Amino acid sequence: MLFFENVKLALVAIKSNKMRSFLTMLGIIIGVSSVIAITTIGNGANSVVSKEFDAFGKNNANIYPNSSEEDTSGVPSQFTLSDINALKERFGDELRYVALYMNGSSEIKIGRMTGQFNISGIADNYMRITGVDLLYGREFTTNDVENRRDYIMIPESAAKKFFGRDDVTGQALSININNKLREMTVIGVYRPRESIFSRLTSNTSYTVYVPYTLWEDRPASVLDIYINEGYDVQKVLDKIKSYLALIHKLAPGYYVSNSVESQQATMSQILGILSASIGAIAAISLLVGGIGIMNIMLVSVTERTREIGIRKSLGAKTGDILVQFLIEAMLVSALGGFLGAALGIGAASVGLSMAKVKVSIDPTVVLLAVGFSALVGMFFGLYPARKAAKLDPIEALRYE
Amino acid sequence: METIIEIQDLEKVYQNGAIEVAALRGVNLNIHKGEFVAIMGASGSGKSTFMNILGCLDRPTRGLYCLEGLDINDYNDNELSFIRNQKVGFVFQSFNLIPRTSALKNVELPMVYGKVPASKRRKRAHELLEKVGLGERYNHMPNELSGGQKQRVAIARALTNQPPIILADEPTGNLDSRSSLEIMEIFSELNRDGNTVIIVTHEPDIAEWTHRVITFRDGLVIDDRLNQPNTTSE
Ligand SMILES: Nc1ncnc2c1ncn2[C@@H]1O[C@H](COP(=O)(O)OP(=O)(O)O)[C@@H](O)[C@H]1O
Ligand SMILES: [Mg+2]
Repeated sequence: MLFFENVKLALVAIKSNKMRSFLTMLGIIIGVSSVIAITTIGNGANSVVSKEFDAFGKNNANIYPNSSEEDTSGVPSQFTLSDINALKERFGDELRYVALYMNGSSEIKIGRMTGQFNISGIADNYMRITGVDLLYGREFTTNDVENRRDYIMIPESAAKKFFGRDDVTGQALSININNKLREMTVIGVYRPRESIFSRLTSNTSYTVYVPYTLWEDRPASVLDIYINEGYDVQKVLDKIKSYLALIHKLAPGYYVSNSVESQQATMSQILGILSASIGAIAAISLLVGGIGIMNIMLVSVTERTREIGIRKSLGAKTGDILVQFLIEAMLVSALGGFLGAALGIGAASVGLSMAKVKVSIDPTVVLLAVGFSALVGMFFGLYPARKAAKLDPIEALRYE
Repeated sequence: METIIEIQDLEKVYQNGAIEVAALRGVNLNIHKGEFVAIMGASGSGKSTFMNILGCLDRPTRGLYCLEGLDINDYNDNELSFIRNQKVGFVFQSFNLIPRTSALKNVELPMVYGKVPASKRRKRAHELLEKVGLGERYNHMPNELSGGQKQRVAIARALTNQPPIILADEPTGNLDSRSSLEIMEIFSELNRDGNTVIIVTHEPDIAEWTHRVITFRDGLVIDDRLNQPNTTSE
């Protein structure tokens, strides 16, 4: 019998029992929708997170003392400018950027405007390496950093707020760095990268950059490092760590590192475990949904025993009846898969748009959900359909 | 005349657990092309069992049944489906229309299984409904039709593939006398057009319409006589 006829028949059967068909689909709907919602949200989160990682650059890493190891020797484990110089000398080729990781914050008041500056200490070339847009002026040179010039780069939002215009290079402002009030000159205005974190920070605090040397002789517990392209990040880091341990006269494993690369690897590992467990949940719910379909199809076959008898008396072959019920089971579950996909995407869209993350819908996911559900329907519909197909025409016709 | 049905020593034994019921105990008869036959007999005499075998819905336990020269013992279940589809038009006492399916779709059904193209199917189904006087009701569902109308749809459905035999097991059993008359008029007309029609009934009035009355008792043919039909409808 023609496929199309069977689809029409199945639609009639589904329509004439709307509530039951819906309840039958429910297992599939719940399974598919939860999987799709979670994977869509997961993909959204993943792309956001990897964008954040990319903002730092894959070859970015931090080096710091292993907190679990006691500083027994009394030798200072923290980093100073002499470490920077030693590293530059020894790893000149491998290192693209190295700086003491310095942070601070300062109240700022210009005229009637007040706000907070989150101060980041950086070295030369930082803006270029991280790909931040400089709108006006320039970034620090090696000279500026070495000579501890009181230069500052501020975001355009701060420029607008405190000076009422964009290009404020040459303007002066005073901030507190390492408990010292400094008169700074604005040498650059930059546009911050769009990021989910930038939405979370309040609009009265601004990230500003100054040379890390302005903290003077204060040591740092973290080194900020960028490795040049073409080097194995982990290998170079290992060399740097053992060298640092050597010059600090510490045990070789004293320093540890945390690279964006390794964080990304950890992240994708976590996401992998997550999707595997979602897959398991999906499998279970589809199994439950499939059993539901089998159950209802068995009921349907019993209810329609007489109809099957009539069809056979009119010339339906075993295969005709088999295909009819198989297609019905497949259609019910494919429909459930489609509704589930729609529901899942809807739920994910609501969730992601609340987090202001762009929703990307993968049409292959919908196709996959529908196709896989149809397969589930076929598998679990096979037994009831065979039962229907094998009915004896006379007994089926006599069925009350 | 050409023999269309040939029956020799036909037996049917139903096996219900340990109990055996012999419903047919050696039936011999031939039916020729173009005959109009009534099968009569008390309830339980084996009429339906016989009709089901004629309609290839059931197989005899022993004996020979040839339909248009084909020994149906030679065919498997799927081949019997094909034979039912092409060679038998069956009309039941309880109409047996498919529920929630329009009159037109019901009539089309044997052609669907006969792999007739959709446009041709529709045209033929319309023609047949027209012929049984239901041209305008083609879109009605079975539950929107009276008993007589349902049986007329069933007759139209039995005719779709132009089968050589039309079998009707108590077709008027569930109908009032007026509808019964209408149905019998259709059967007579079909017979006049050359169709072979076999009807089971226990009402002598109905048997009066036919040309030959075969009487069953306890699974045997006890009487087989020709009849001069009373074609004037009361
Ligand atoms: N499926 C069956 N199983 C057992 N016995 C049956 C079955 N069908 C019919 N019979 C028996 O066979 C005999 C003939 O039945 P049937 O052909 O239906 O008679 P009729 O149609 O003349 O009333 C009856 O005794 C009936 O009880
Ligand atoms: Mg009977």
